[in-house]
Amino acid sequence: MSSNNIVVENLTFQYPGGDEAVLRDASVTIEPGEFTAVVGGNGSGKTTLCKTFNGLIPHFFEGTFDGRVTVAGTDTRESDVAELSKTVGYVFQDFENQLVQETVRDDVEFAPLNHGLDDYAERATRALETLGLDHLEDRFIWELSGGQQHLVALAGVLAMDPEFIFVDEPAAQLDPRNARETYEQLRRLNEERDKTIIVIEHHSEFIADYCDEMVLVSDGGVAWKEPVEVGLNRLDDLLAHDIHPPQVTKIADGLPSEAGTLPDGRYPVTVDEAATAFQPATTCESRAAVDGGAVTTLGADTDDAPTDRGQDGDALVTMRGVGHGYPTLREGYNRVLDGLDLELHAGDRVALVGANGSGKSTLLRLLTGLESPDQGSVTVLGRDTSETLPEQLADDTVYIHQNPEEMFVEDTVRKDVAYYLENRDAPNVNERVDEILAYLDLEHLADRDGRLMSLGQQRRASLGIGLATDPTVVLLDEPTGSLDLQSRREVTGMLRKAESRVETVVVASHDLQLVAAWANRVLVMGDGEVLADAPPAAVFSDPDLLAETDLRQPQVVELSQRLGLESPALSTDSMCETLARSLDGDGVADGGVGDVGGDAESDGGTR
Amino acid sequence: MKYVDAFTDISVTDIKVDLMRTAYDNEDALLNSFDPRVVLLWTVLFMIIPWLFYDTLPLAILLAAAFALAALSQVSKYLLALLLFGQVTNVGFFVVLVPLIGGAIRAVEHLGDNAARVVEGVMTGDVGVFAETGTIVAAAVGQGIHTATTSQEVGIDAVGALVPFFLKLTIISVISLAVFSAMSPQKLSKGMLRLGVPRQLTFAIAYGYRMMPLLVEEYHALINSFRLRSKVPEKQGLFRWRYFYYLLRLSVKAFYPLIFNVAKRSRVTVEAMETKGFSRSLGDEQSQALRTEGMMIRTRDVTFVFGSLLFVAAVWVFT
Repeated sequence: MSSNNIVVENLTFQYPGGDEAVLRDASVTIEPGEFTAVVGGNGSGKTTLCKTFNGLIPHFFEGTFDGRVTVAGTDTRESDVAELSKTVGYVFQDFENQLVQETVRDDVEFAPLNHGLDDYAERATRALETLGLDHLEDRFIWELSGGQQHLVALAGVLAMDPEFIFVDEPAAQLDPRNARETYEQLRRLNEERDKTIIVIEHHSEFIADYCDEMVLVSDGGVAWKEPVEVGLNRLDDLLAHDIHPPQVTKIADGLPSEAGTLPDGRYPVTVDEAATAFQPATTCESRAAVDGGAVTTLGADTDDAPTDRGQDGDALVTMRGVGHGYPTLREGYNRVLDGLDLELHAGDRVALVGANGSGKSTLLRLLTGLESPDQGSVTVLGRDTSETLPEQLADDTVYIHQNPEEMFVEDTVRKDVAYYLENRDAPNVNERVDEILAYLDLEHLADRDGRLMSLGQQRRASLGIGLATDPTVVLLDEPTGSLDLQSRREVTGMLRKAESRVETVVVASHDLQLVAAWANRVLVMGDGEVLADAPPAAVFSDPDLLAETDLRQPQVVELSQRLGLESPALSTDSMCETLARSLDGDGVADGGVGDVGGDAESDGGTR
Repeated sequence: MKYVDAFTDISVTDIKVDLMRTAYDNEDALLNSFDPRVVLLWTVLFMIIPWLFYDTLPLAILLAAAFALAALSQVSKYLLALLLFGQVTNVGFFVVLVPLIGGAIRAVEHLGDNAARVVEGVMTGDVGVFAETGTIVAAAVGQGIHTATTSQEVGIDAVGALVPFFLKLTIISVISLAVFSAMSPQKLSKGMLRLGVPRQLTFAIAYGYRMMPLLVEEYHALINSFRLRSKVPEKQGLFRWRYFYYLLRLSVKAFYPLIFNVAKRSRVTVEAMETKGFSRSLGDEQSQALRTEGMMIRTRDVTFVFGSLLFVAAVWVFT
């Protein structure tokens, strides 16, 4: 079985028409049975590297190819894509476009049929059953949720029973829960069916929880391949490539000398490990709390409620008894919102959280006026949305689409940012556009087509389009889906900058780290209404509520609970501070730990 | 519920779902239960049959039958209504247009008869002749209007000649709507494949079905993006025509980004097709055989074809 691996030797590759080689002298070996994560910054060549495994390079992209790639003993140059795909299955980042047939079963049968395999039906059945999709086999692809589509793409790959399964950024276009579901399935395939799994991944928390090996691709070469615990401890390397280390690792790194290390001298990478590593610190902390009789304030929840929120002022947005839904093909009318009442005030930084289909996006669309509520009324800045055109509401409201591609209507970023201003005959359009482009670091991309940029760049451009409208109410749908360190910092920065002129911001998000760090009001959606309306710390310290709505606590909150802290820390910095204080034996609470905002800034900014 | 309410309550989403149902919900459709090859051949046959009839009555009966078939095939009521509306307005248009053209021709004739005097009047600039020219033009217009208002029966006669033609077109449209919306794309491509249509084409049809809903959604999202960043015309004009004209312009503009997005999607699709062995399967007989297996012409297929032919024969004989 020694030849049953993937060996890349001194590979250099340049795309036809490219200016320089994308891969330079890269060498790596993937052993059978591994669960490997490939990480690297944008444009480092990690996707290109992985496309050599199934022969897309050099057979589909014919460039300058030097070196050798051997898959299970076969030189990829002497085989072809279809043949290699029997050994190496590939799930694309853009998996939606990988599904080419209209129903689930047809799509899963597609590859075995193409290869003329008699047992195509059994293969499809087995693949669907493995992933628990058998009840969906007659559904149309377009009826499925993103998470289900991803699993169908995976099933299509499994139908060929490949030894290696390669998944490009599963967490990029899926929400955290679905991404976790995909990872659970991949883990089962790895453990029970002995598949070798290779993922490209930005999110180090998934890497820590599921993978066992880690490859860092840097500048077209393979910088190193290490076991995950070792790789995630190389914080400098990770940060240099814009990869978030897990929160617990960051906390350990923030503690004074060796205080947060495991017995073997490295930092923890999972919550389990962290709970062990930090245990000594907290025993001391709880003792201090008991002794001192004072409860240490960890989050910033206590000091923001009455002062920060303009509860008493006039409401900017009012929703009264709002019911709304959509007709569906199979299930008739699907009611998404039911009797929802809500008021938003100036100064609110609202995070909408909740499971898929709980109505977050519907609520935002109702606020834009693109849809009018089936029942009840929605008033935005004194205007009833049922009687106002969305174009008029857009004078003061901006909606930033979940999928930035839908916001690009022109062929360059500059024209897209200017579109709103020019349509409304704003003065000094060019200057204002220049200012926004400079602020979001988009100047070098200004003349490119938004659609052809990376997802992170697209997101930034869509924020620019939103900022250009100079709004009072900002509505953001999933602004941090698939963001790397750099881009999340920009979203937080934009939100912060916007605060000076914007009166209220509503963010629908699965990114609980962002919610914890930025919001002062969390609306938990479920059953067509608002289940909870509270400051972040209160929501995060209610595990039952979170479980009910498919949310997962940020590591730092989970860790707080595991350590038995009275109220959860919301950012790594406040956690560090608490732990450090208890280490010093100084158990007396000397006031709160600053406001949430400051924490968030340093969360990304101190590095 | 009042009909007026039903009409004004139609939303974009309702129409979208109804069209989706037409295109995708085929499980109970009558035509979907037959062998696809039989249905395809039957369709070809019924594209020809209406042209063998020349009278209004048998054609009307055939049309009624076609509508019944469409109803059994769950064709969207909006689509049928649109089709019917199109044909009716077409006929109405001719009723109005024929006398109008007649009137115009009459007026031009009158002018032509007096052309020399009109030209003279204009050339000389003589006031007397000029006035006379005015009279001639007025008389021409008068005669035109007279012809147009008194020749309704001519218009109706002209339309009468056209009605069978419209009926034939409508029958064919309704039948093809019924067939292509009732048959599932899998069955359709299977049947076509067996009849020797190249795989590339049948795949394109199946792929089109797969992508269509996605494109509809994306198009809608793009229009919404445009709306949120545009300004409505301040004056809406008579019947809000400026507003509708603005919406129309947006909906045309939105095609441009849509085409780019489609092009971008297809890059990944082409790569994925390669990994799924599509190009390898094109010449592969084993793959072709597996794809078209399990089709069988049964008694009910034959009954359907002969039954419908018998119906046509009966119409032929009894009308």
